[in-house]
Amino acid sequence: MVNVTYRRVTKRYENGFTAVDGLNLEIEDGEFLVLLGPSGCGKSTTLRMLAGLEEVTEGDVMIGNARVNDLPPGARGIGMVFQSYALYPHMTIADNLSFGLRMLKGDDRPEDDEIQWRVGETADLLGITAELEKKPKQLSGGQRQRVALGRALIKKPKVLLMDEPLSNLDAELRQQMRVEIRRLHDELGMTTVYVTHDQIEAMTLADRIAVLNEGVLQQHGPPMDVYRNPVNPFIEGFLCAHLNDIVETANELFGGEEE
Amino acid sequence: MSSMDNMPRASKSDLARRWYVPQEIESIRSYYPLVLIVALLSVGLSLIRANQDAIYSSTSIVLVHLVVLVLLRQLDHGTKNIRDGALAISGIGLFLSILHHLDGPSLWIDIWFTAWAAIPFVLVLAAGSMPMVTLWVSGRLTVKAAELGLRKNKMMAMKHSHALHHLILFHAVAAVALPILWILDVALSPENALGGGFMDEITGEHFEKLISSESFWLWTRNSFIVSIGTTLLGLALAIPAGYAFSRFRFRGRDSAMFAFLLVQMFPGVIILVPYFLVMKALGLLNTSLGLILAYSVTALPLCVWMLKGFFDTVPRELEEAALVDGCSQTQVFWRIVLPLSLPAVAVTALFSFLAAWNEFLLALTFNTSEEMYTLPVGLASLISSTGQAWGDFAAASLLVSLPVVVLFIAFQRFLIEGLSAGGVKG
Repeated sequence: MVNVTYRRVTKRYENGFTAVDGLNLEIEDGEFLVLLGPSGCGKSTTLRMLAGLEEVTEGDVMIGNARVNDLPPGARGIGMVFQSYALYPHMTIADNLSFGLRMLKGDDRPEDDEIQWRVGETADLLGITAELEKKPKQLSGGQRQRVALGRALIKKPKVLLMDEPLSNLDAELRQQMRVEIRRLHDELGMTTVYVTHDQIEAMTLADRIAVLNEGVLQQHGPPMDVYRNPVNPFIEGFLCAHLNDIVETANELFGGEEE
Repeated sequence: MSSMDNMPRASKSDLARRWYVPQEIESIRSYYPLVLIVALLSVGLSLIRANQDAIYSSTSIVLVHLVVLVLLRQLDHGTKNIRDGALAISGIGLFLSILHHLDGPSLWIDIWFTAWAAIPFVLVLAAGSMPMVTLWVSGRLTVKAAELGLRKNKMMAMKHSHALHHLILFHAVAAVALPILWILDVALSPENALGGGFMDEITGEHFEKLISSESFWLWTRNSFIVSIGTTLLGLALAIPAGYAFSRFRFRGRDSAMFAFLLVQMFPGVIILVPYFLVMKALGLLNTSLGLILAYSVTALPLCVWMLKGFFDTVPRELEEAALVDGCSQTQVFWRIVLPLSLPAVAVTALFSFLAAWNEFLLALTFNTSEEMYTLPVGLASLISSTGQAWGDFAAASLLVSLPVVVLFIAFQRFLIEGLSAGGVKG
């Protein structure tokens, strides 16, 4: 598989707003990296530059050894899961899954039998075989989320990108999908970049977290390392204090029972 | 909690009695303003006819209605006298309205006015003398009866409001259907008479004459060429323009969109002469192409705005997903955005087609030779200063509306979807 490198990457919009400022970050082959930060910190922009949905103003974005700044999204060998799922409403689930394969050109495009086989395989993997002939409208939120994952995975991407994929689900489903996403990552072994503002999600999913604020990378490392050794007050407040609050609340609620 | 318990039993049950108003009275009260409006219209008709007696009688009917309404609003427990007064005055009103009817002509409109004047009086008489109402106004209603009455009121309120809706819709349907029935009558009557009884003599001569006439088919062909050409050209221009306005930010975007609206604000007559000069210079007078160009351009602003509005509702994440799936910008448009926008495109197409199909002024001005007439111009030529072929005209009007009706039925599903698209969420 491949690693991903941001080299002095800056994103500046036409109105002068700097969303990402001189980002240096390396994501190792097969690593699960979570980009964490409050709203407007530039984490989504960072992800979208890797996807090719956002122009890079300065610096280089590398996937493997290739500089992909100017490659169209379809050519980067990535799969992406969007916050709103973004399933094509006019296509069946099977067509939604196979759309990416059908859009490949020339020799890259698999035979129809092969496409059908891979749709079946992906549906199996995600437990949506019974829904293949339905339209997205007929599915529940959790099922749509699985289809969105399947659509990203079916092309066997080298890098999987997820932009707050669980924020539209209720608490129980979110917990369930969190486990599922980590399982898929361990099973398929692709490099994964995951954007969230939820500290718990970041701590439980990541091999490594990278915390951003106001477009600047604050700290990165294994979740527990960052939690134990915050390098600045922002990390303390955003990550450590928040997690401690949760632990304290839990202790207050359940502490009495244990005694 | 305790204050509820301490409330005396009598005042608690009084609640039902105090709140109970028979639904019959309540409904008549709330619908009475309609009766007054129609009664005033009746006065207006008498004024137009300048019939002194009718003016007096219709005015006094309005006054009687007014008095009845005021009395109805006064009705409550222990107001038996007012109820009796209302009944008596309604009787007088009923008598007056019959008198008024006998006095004047009895066209269908007079019968309609009489019905609107007399039926409310009858309703007041009937409702006012009901045993339940009598008990109510004399204040002898028991608590149990009042509670039962409140329950009955709910069902009755629904029935009464349905009745009112049907009454109003019936009038709306009549307003739409009467001219069509009239045209049908004229088309099926022999000769070219506009009067006469409804469907007293039936003949297909006008339809036969039209169908066997060469010019009618020629005009139909011209109309179809122009309308379909306008639809195709209009869509070919409006779809990309609407998409660009919806998705891309470019210099001059806002002013261009405003300019589109600005053009719509001028009445068509203003651009008639300039258009004529342009068409003359281009040698497009008496051609279908000239009309197609003119119609597409005039329909374009509205089409672009409609489509832009719809494209705005297609989520951008869908397009981004398609980009990641390997589509080019063009493929995104053809494979994702356009299929999702079919209802809106259908509505826009229908709109352009109808605008071109019905347009009269430009067609009359540009295409002056008879073999280049479109249907509306051809129809108008049937009614000239030398001969009024009303029968042919009516028959042709019906035939001309036929494609429009067919199109509307075929596109009905799309129309509803397209027009309500803004509110739909994926």
